[in-house]
Amino acid sequence: MEELIASVIRGLGIGSTYALLGVGFVIIYRATEVVNFAQPALMILGAYFTAYYVFNLGLPFWVATLAAMVTMALIGAITERIALRPMVGEPPFAAAMVTVGVFIILLIVAFRLIGTTVITVGDPWGLERMDVFGIRIFQVDVAKIVISMVAISIVGIFLKRSRVGLAMRATALDQEVALAQGVNVGRMFGLSWAIAGALAALAGMLIGTGSGGVEATTAFIALKALPVIILGGLDSIQGSVYAGLIIGVAESLTRSYQPEFAPILGANFDVVVPYLIMILVLMVRPYGLFGTPEVQRV
Amino acid sequence: MQRTRWRRAAATLSVVALLAVACGDNEPATTSPTEEDADADATDADADADATDDDADDVAVGDIQFDQGVTEEACPNAVNPDNGCIYLGVLSDLTEGPFAALGVPLTEAQRDFWNRVNTDGGIAGFDVDIDEYTRDTKFDPQEHSSAYRQIEPNILALHQSLGTEPTEAILRDMDDDNVIASPATWWSGWGFEEKDRGLILEIGYSYCIESMIAMDYVSENIAEPGSVMAVGYPGDFGGDSAAGVEAWAEAAGVEFLGFVETAPNAIVGSQDAAISQILSGGPDVVMLAVGPAETAEIVGGSAAQGFEGQFMGSVPTWNPALLQTPAAPALEAIYLHVGFAENFDGESEAHDKLREARNGEPPVNDAYTYGWIQSYPILRALEAAAANGDLTREGLRSVVDGLVVDYEGALPDQVYGGDPNENVQREATISRPDGESDLGYSTVEAGYTGPIASEYAYDGPCSG
Repeated sequence: MEELIASVIRGLGIGSTYALLGVGFVIIYRATEVVNFAQPALMILGAYFTAYYVFNLGLPFWVATLAAMVTMALIGAITERIALRPMVGEPPFAAAMVTVGVFIILLIVAFRLIGTTVITVGDPWGLERMDVFGIRIFQVDVAKIVISMVAISIVGIFLKRSRVGLAMRATALDQEVALAQGVNVGRMFGLSWAIAGALAALAGMLIGTGSGGVEATTAFIALKALPVIILGGLDSIQGSVYAGLIIGVAESLTRSYQPEFAPILGANFDVVVPYLIMILVLMVRPYGLFGTPEVQRV
Repeated sequence: MQRTRWRRAAATLSVVALLAVACGDNEPATTSPTEEDADADATDADADADATDDDADDVAVGDIQFDQGVTEEACPNAVNPDNGCIYLGVLSDLTEGPFAALGVPLTEAQRDFWNRVNTDGGIAGFDVDIDEYTRDTKFDPQEHSSAYRQIEPNILALHQSLGTEPTEAILRDMDDDNVIASPATWWSGWGFEEKDRGLILEIGYSYCIESMIAMDYVSENIAEPGSVMAVGYPGDFGGDSAAGVEAWAEAAGVEFLGFVETAPNAIVGSQDAAISQILSGGPDVVMLAVGPAETAEIVGGSAAQGFEGQFMGSVPTWNPALLQTPAAPALEAIYLHVGFAENFDGESEAHDKLREARNGEPPVNDAYTYGWIQSYPILRALEAAAANGDLTREGLRSVVDGLVVDYEGALPDQVYGGDPNENVQREATISRPDGESDLGYSTVEAGYTGPIASEYAYDGPCSG
């Protein structure tokens, strides 16, 4: 039982990180109807800047994390202004291809910055463990859950309660109507990229808290957010949160028990699990668990 | 409708990623070459075409005959402008592949090595150039094959071919072209002519022998294990290493708890599955054949959950940056590194020279040391071919069988060809993490071999 609970908590920890990344995808999609494939590169650069601010500038860990989020928010907004804004009015598929290009460029930058070494983010948890109702769990897993949920809640409240959030939601619903109501739609696009960049930076920091640190290739972990957004629904923040947690827990339980109970499935079957879940959900709910069903007039 | 399209696009990409994971074995997916690379390659291709025309026929200068890959003209930026030039190719992992941390310093060391040879006058009136035909193939067999085809007309030999599968991908072409290569891969198959066609100048031990030496070391110096386990990437690296652990266990009468296959974090996300199997298996010794970040995660994660056994790490498991990770205390306590040669601070004429080449400044990791030492077989082959008056590819290939390589003390003399069981290297350097050392670890014992590794009948590849 203890092993089961520990495995679930580990899954919730990594799932929270997937949820953060998924929410970044959703925010940009809702504002611009573009799936941002550059999110993995924003994540790894976030990890790099956190490490840089901690070890090169000597900033305290939490200050460095916030500084990295601000840095990536700026990079996200600038990227939108330079690479995506000219694509307004073009088919979303073309804009998505631009994000693929942005991904490759930013990834090359990350490879140049990180080089061939392993970086750590200087987090306070390391490999420390704690007792929760007699069960030994890693502090880092609790930190991942708490930090991710707090960050997503702040974004949710911002979108729901603030005037700018209202403007962003209006833009997401109908860009032309929002424009007619005086909303600066371009600014909303930039803001959505900035928020996604900040969340990606936070996810990068959390990924970097592992005991082995991160390498430039760690960026590819963020691709796990693709099944998350499909499962949760492309336009649902709530869906991304649930889907991230479901996929994280499913992965973790598979890692813990599949080698013992289903060795015939082979090594590393947990890698396949998110995609299997995604395919199953697409078969029964093509718009995801919380996505908006489409009505097509015929 | 719009969302449906996106879902389809995202689902398609996900399925592609899934297939890549399923089919990719131990290699993470690689990305396409950058525009910059493409431009550079296009320029090189033009240059290559010109050079090919120039080198079409055999030429003789003095007493030495030569053709492809050797010119009367001096090398670009030649140390000796009056010398001719021998062009050697390098196909390595230099940017985003999984072994770039090895490929970059390895190549840097080889550049320094030839600079030293050239500064000493070169080889029989020729300088050696490896810069002109160095290509980043990202540990991808297709890229490797494509780059090989591009540079082949202009090189005499390959000074570095990184990775077993990438090297296997070009082996048939190399055979047809009479191109020999120095590999940056330690697969046990390279010791056998039916596998390497007599073209590969393997250096040091194989991963398979490395594991046996590691197990012998633990058994003789720490505690006799009751059970052992292998953790690694599937394929030539982890698979060969695991085969060595299994063979050792059989010879020692120790329980082999199996080979736990894992993959780089970029693919599997974390090493939780491997840690879980180590903890449930409870081996006394674990042989690791993974990358540095994965090593730290496995050792740190296992130790934090109560594992008290010993970890032994293959050559690529170490990076000095691991001492900055939370796993550092665990690494210092229960991890030892196994290398085929002494570290940067080793004691030999070769080590003195490589330190001098860097003005005593330590490199980023010990792949630099390995890159330097790996350069000796090609140097000796070139010297032998030049002494025979034949620097053609055929002439160079003909000296490989029976070639004796003097490593200036860095390794015991190595003989190519003949009986692999007689000629294979069975010595290793054991090191432990050490924050006081420049490269984060220091030598515990150099030139170590154990009873099972030294007696193992090496009459075929351990894996593959």
